[in-house]
Amino acid sequence: MPVTRLLYPLYQLGNPQLRIFRPSWFLTLVRPGKEQPQDTVQFRIPMEMTKYDVKNYLEKIYNVPVGVVRTRIQFGSNKKRNHLNQKVKQPDYKVAYVQLALGQTFTFPDIFPEKERAPAEGSMEEMQEKFMEDEKQRQKLDPRRGGVTEWFGL
Amino acid sequence: MAARTRLPLLFPRNLFPFRSQKLVHTEVSVKEPAYPPIVPSLTAKSKSARRRQIEERVKKICASSVEDKVSLITRIQREKFVVYPQTFARNADRWYQHFTKTAYIPGLPEKFTPGLEKPAAAAPGIDDDTFADIRSLVTRVILQEHWQIRKRKPFMYRHQEQVVGPFLRSLVSGLTYSLAKYNPLLQLSSLDLSPQVNFYWRRGQRIIPKGHRRRRLEPTRFQIDDRPHSQIRVTQQLPQFMPLEASYAAEVPEITLPPNVMPLFRRQYDNNIFTGAKLPDPACYGHTQFHLVPDRYHRDRMARRQQADQVEVFLRANALASLFAWTGAQAMYQGFWNYEDVTRPFVSQAVITDGHFFSFFCYQLNTVALSVETDANNPRKNLLWGTESLRLYESVQDGEVVGLNDGVVKLLVQFFMNQP
Repeated sequence: MPVTRLLYPLYQLGNPQLRIFRPSWFLTLVRPGKEQPQDTVQFRIPMEMTKYDVKNYLEKIYNVPVGVVRTRIQFGSNKKRNHLNQKVKQPDYKVAYVQLALGQTFTFPDIFPEKERAPAEGSMEEMQEKFMEDEKQRQKLDPRRGGVTEWFGL
Repeated sequence: MAARTRLPLLFPRNLFPFRSQKLVHTEVSVKEPAYPPIVPSLTAKSKSARRRQIEERVKKICASSVEDKVSLITRIQREKFVVYPQTFARNADRWYQHFTKTAYIPGLPEKFTPGLEKPAAAAPGIDDDTFADIRSLVTRVILQEHWQIRKRKPFMYRHQEQVVGPFLRSLVSGLTYSLAKYNPLLQLSSLDLSPQVNFYWRRGQRIIPKGHRRRRLEPTRFQIDDRPHSQIRVTQQLPQFMPLEASYAAEVPEITLPPNVMPLFRRQYDNNIFTGAKLPDPACYGHTQFHLVPDRYHRDRMARRQQADQVEVFLRANALASLFAWTGAQAMYQGFWNYEDVTRPFVSQAVITDGHFFSFFCYQLNTVALSVETDANNPRKNLLWGTESLRLYESVQDGEVVGLNDGVVKLLVQFFMNQP
């Protein structure tokens, strides 16, 4: 049989459209390390996905209007060594920067907000905190001397 | 033992009142300094020495001729952001406005009146017959390209360069030559086909994060290398649209993010500043530029990718970058640069088209001083006026142009007839 140029697994004229139902790919929304514009969302995506896959994924499954997607592959370092002096590889991952269409914006929310915890009345924690505060107050120098030590003076 | 004189214990200020006066009745002569002025060193490893080096460099550039100025400013090569006027980036016009300190004003200045009033109001010297001639010229050019020439079907994504390119070229040259008898400026003009326009400038600064130059401030450098489809260069400067002081109130969007997020990429190569012709050319001022929208950014393709709202953004960004580069290069050719700001505004026009839709833009360059030191107290801003896309004709059917828009033809004529 003569050798024909078959580019595998690319689409060739006449092939059925490649449709994926129930993809086994999962995207992870991450907080950007460097500051990004308001309309840019940053994802970690599986290595096999492409820009067009990301676009279709977000538009079809989540109805997010996507403008443009740019991807890059982050190399995981192979420099660290374990106790046996073997190199330990951190896994590589692909990052996608998705710019939203229709003028939409997105800011990554604050997932760990500061909580004002007041300890419960009469409990051990409250007594311990009071004790620590009294100790600290005792260690502080005379405020009338402006925080200067008492080693010298008239 | 020293002779003891009867001096007081504490010396009052005027103990010897006439000591410094040699002769009482002479005029004060100009005292020449006995020693040279005390300035910081030039070669020491100190901040004042670095400041003095920069000052000396600025003085040297100010004192040299225009060719030397351009070569001294563009001498040192360093990594710079390459700004493409025709870009795929989203919201590029806001970014470019920030890079070039330009305010966008929708609509054209009062000089150009779009709308279908009497064509005689187009410009002095253009009456109905001339306008009818222009109109017939435009229809002839459209029919020539789209109906009469027998071409094979253009290749995929080559329609613009193979069909619309020649159409625009013949339209521009036809209009230039026919309006030359009404506009004396066009008689001494130069029509360039596919010229190079380059400009190099600095704006903003950043702290270098890593490397042997860590924690030092570095100015961000930009370079535009543009190839408009065609342009007209003239010997006299076009009149300004708005006085310099009126630009102080305009608003320029401020973006605090670094440009590489846009996305914009850095490279290092020759810094070029070029208007389209070399320095000794007498036609050193710009009149109009014509740009062609390539197939990649055609509105049908953008609509298929759901980016229909970016079409206008792309046109604005293109006009902004190209006209800023052109007017900036013109200013450089006259000897104005970062530390010697322009004394008069530089004005140019542009028409961007994709064959059917025409957009008209006017640019006024009020300031070239964009780097951090000179921009601190600079209230001047550059101005860009622009229209939305206007359709020239509906279609070509059976050897006839259907739906020719007279307003667009009038605007074209007004653009060509602009003269001081």
